[in-house]
Amino acid sequence: MEDQIVRITSRLVAPFIQVYGIYVILHGHLSPGGGFSGGAIFGASLVLVALSFNLEVGAKQISHATASVLESGGALGFVITGLVGVAVGANFLANRAAGFPLGETGEFFSAGAIFIITAFLGVKVASTIVTLFYNIIEGEDKSGDAH
Amino acid sequence: MEDILFIIIAAIFAMRYLLRLQARGVFTILLVGLIGFFFSFTVAEMPPFGDPNNPVFNEIPARYMGEGIADTGAVNIVSSVIIDYRAFDTLGEATVLFVAIAAVIATLKSH
Repeated sequence: MEDQIVRITSRLVAPFIQVYGIYVILHGHLSPGGGFSGGAIFGASLVLVALSFNLEVGAKQISHATASVLESGGALGFVITGLVGVAVGANFLANRAAGFPLGETGEFFSAGAIFIITAFLGVKVASTIVTLFYNIIEGEDKSGDAH
Repeated sequence: MEDILFIIIAAIFAMRYLLRLQARGVFTILLVGLIGFFFSFTVAEMPPFGDPNNPVFNEIPARYMGEGIADTGAVNIVSSVIIDYRAFDTLGEATVLFVAIAAVIATLKSH
């Protein structure tokens, strides 16, 4: 796409969207939102940049290797956080019983495992949206060349 | 009951001979009507919205709202339910995402 207005606007807006996405992810235990919605916001900002510029510029932001590492790392981190409970002797995905510090209610660093799991979920959802977008776009591109 | 049957049969004949629909179209409209009837029936049978005597207002939401902050330390009760009390369900959701992305990569990645 060659539209100058769309390019400049999206370049100005994208960092704010990303900061907002990180804010929603990290305040999942305090305010409405959480890993799924914040990750979707963050992933949408990367998709916005890739749509308003071309795909090569977009692909520079986050490579395939990084995306797949983040993808698997998010899921793995979730499971490992759950397994901490088993290792300590409580249930799978236990929070207070597994000894996670709950902190002071309402503070930023509080709620123990919820904070950690929300962060992992946000990373996973953001990388899922980006990977899905690039794979569908590139798959269409490749088959268009072949036929 | 006879009235309803009569109306259905009259509607079939009207669609078939007045509107000149094919048998397939008549069947489709009847099937959609049947599904719509069961949907409306189910919605009509649902408990009224916000009634304190609804079956969902049992001891579980009382526990979540009463002791949720002490149990989990999260002010956001939705977060404390989906990531603490029902965290295994959320792990399943993350697995659905993972399987979806694996399927997309396996189908679309040509190189």
